[in-house]
Amino acid sequence: MRVYLRYAFKETFTNLWRNRMMTVAAVLTVAVSLSLVGSALLLKQSAAQASAQWQQGTRVTIWMQPNASTSEIGSVKTQLAGMPIVKDCQYFTQAQDYQQAKTLLPADEWSVLTPSATPSSFRCVPTVPTDAFTVQSTFTNEPGVYQVTAPEQQIRQMNHAIRILQIVFLALAAVLLLSATVLILNTIRMAIFSRRREVSVMKLVGATNWFIRVPFITEGFIEGLLGSAVAILAVTALHTWYPLHNEFALNASALVGTNTVVLVVGVVIGSVGSAIAIRRFLDV
Amino acid sequence: MIRFENVSKTYKNGTPALRNVTLDIEKGEFVFLVGASGSGKTTFLRLLLREETPDVGRILEAGRDIGELPKWRVPYLRRNIGCVFQDFRLLPNKSVFENVAFALEVIGRPRSTVESQVPQILELVGLADKSKNLPHELSGGEQQRVAVARAFVNRPLILLADEPTGNLDPANSESIMALLERINRTGTTVVMATHDKALVDRMRRRVVELDRGEIVRDQVRGVYGIDEGVAI
Repeated sequence: MRVYLRYAFKETFTNLWRNRMMTVAAVLTVAVSLSLVGSALLLKQSAAQASAQWQQGTRVTIWMQPNASTSEIGSVKTQLAGMPIVKDCQYFTQAQDYQQAKTLLPADEWSVLTPSATPSSFRCVPTVPTDAFTVQSTFTNEPGVYQVTAPEQQIRQMNHAIRILQIVFLALAAVLLLSATVLILNTIRMAIFSRRREVSVMKLVGATNWFIRVPFITEGFIEGLLGSAVAILAVTALHTWYPLHNEFALNASALVGTNTVVLVVGVVIGSVGSAIAIRRFLDV
Repeated sequence: MIRFENVSKTYKNGTPALRNVTLDIEKGEFVFLVGASGSGKTTFLRLLLREETPDVGRILEAGRDIGELPKWRVPYLRRNIGCVFQDFRLLPNKSVFENVAFALEVIGRPRSTVESQVPQILELVGLADKSKNLPHELSGGEQQRVAVARAFVNRPLILLADEPTGNLDPANSESIMALLERINRTGTTVVMATHDKALVDRMRRRVVELDRGEIVRDQVRGVYGIDEGVAI
């Protein structure tokens, strides 16, 4: 067994070195495609996390017309109080909203606003985040109501954009993974070709089929492994220097999970590529 | 040792390579296989190695039908059969020692075995002093002796030789034959396909002649061919 391990090890690295250009090409393709897979996975996880965080504090804002009558405001208020799906409501007067607008709006926009033209508002927290839509549809056409806004919409748009990005990443990754497999297949094929004399002698003197195959399989395995190692570095770098807002930042366990997937996929690609090459080109 | 029972083999393109061949070769025999090109000599050897399987009939080696062997057992069959070819088939980037050692290493023999067996066999073929040379630094005769050493280093029961002297001058052919005889005297069965008339005539061993896939002659102490005497 030891003799064999030493032999297989030596053969594998000799092959990798002999075809080093192809090895590098295969490793890099694996690395790029797996980086994309890893990033797509990270993106998906952080999008889920961020939208969960946003939903916790989801608020529905019912903006009243600036000229809404006191009875209209009162009617909305009583209706809100009677709704079990609304947990909590706060009424902001025109003056309060005017003051808040001062802090939120740019100076030139705020300067054209007057307290009497500012809508008053109800800031409500629904019991369940998704009830924000029910609140929204109930009050949109109520007399005296100017507009009902729920940040849920923005979250949805955001999630939609992220999903599209993710699909693009994964589609790209799938194509690249396929080409990585083919590249590995080709390096193994070249290795088989450059060692055809040895292989024929081995068959002649009675080396077992697995003895002949294993160095080639290990070669593909190692190419996959090296590729995923590079991809893991890239994914970790992305995680460390995240270009997105804090709410997207993931903890270490999410990173470990993603990197595990990257590693497994890399190793599988390498093994599958070499297995196909052996089936097709190594006649044992 | 080797037994062919009504063996026929036809290749895919329709040419019959062997037709109804029945033959017994005893343990320790030395057999010449003669006949024109395409008479089926190489097919005979390939069948023994189970590189081919017969269409009809059975081949027994050491009492076992080799057609029944599962595919994964075939390498173990080949460990009992040494092979020598006209074109030597040495690995050009390995030294003489490494070429012979390779045959032991790839069947999983430990290093201690390799280190004791290889010098011994190189001594036997008379190349102990050239063990560090590469094949291209040797003469054809020496290269063939390395090939014989590689074929015999695992002490096989059978040694097959396909035109081993085909590329050699008479003097070198002579030394290869002396080597094969010596190996034969250790009890190894030797089957040699050849075109070398002078050699066969001098050795006076069993001769099996094939013609278009059929055995036309089987002589215990034969010569190359009866009608060939007229040629030169």
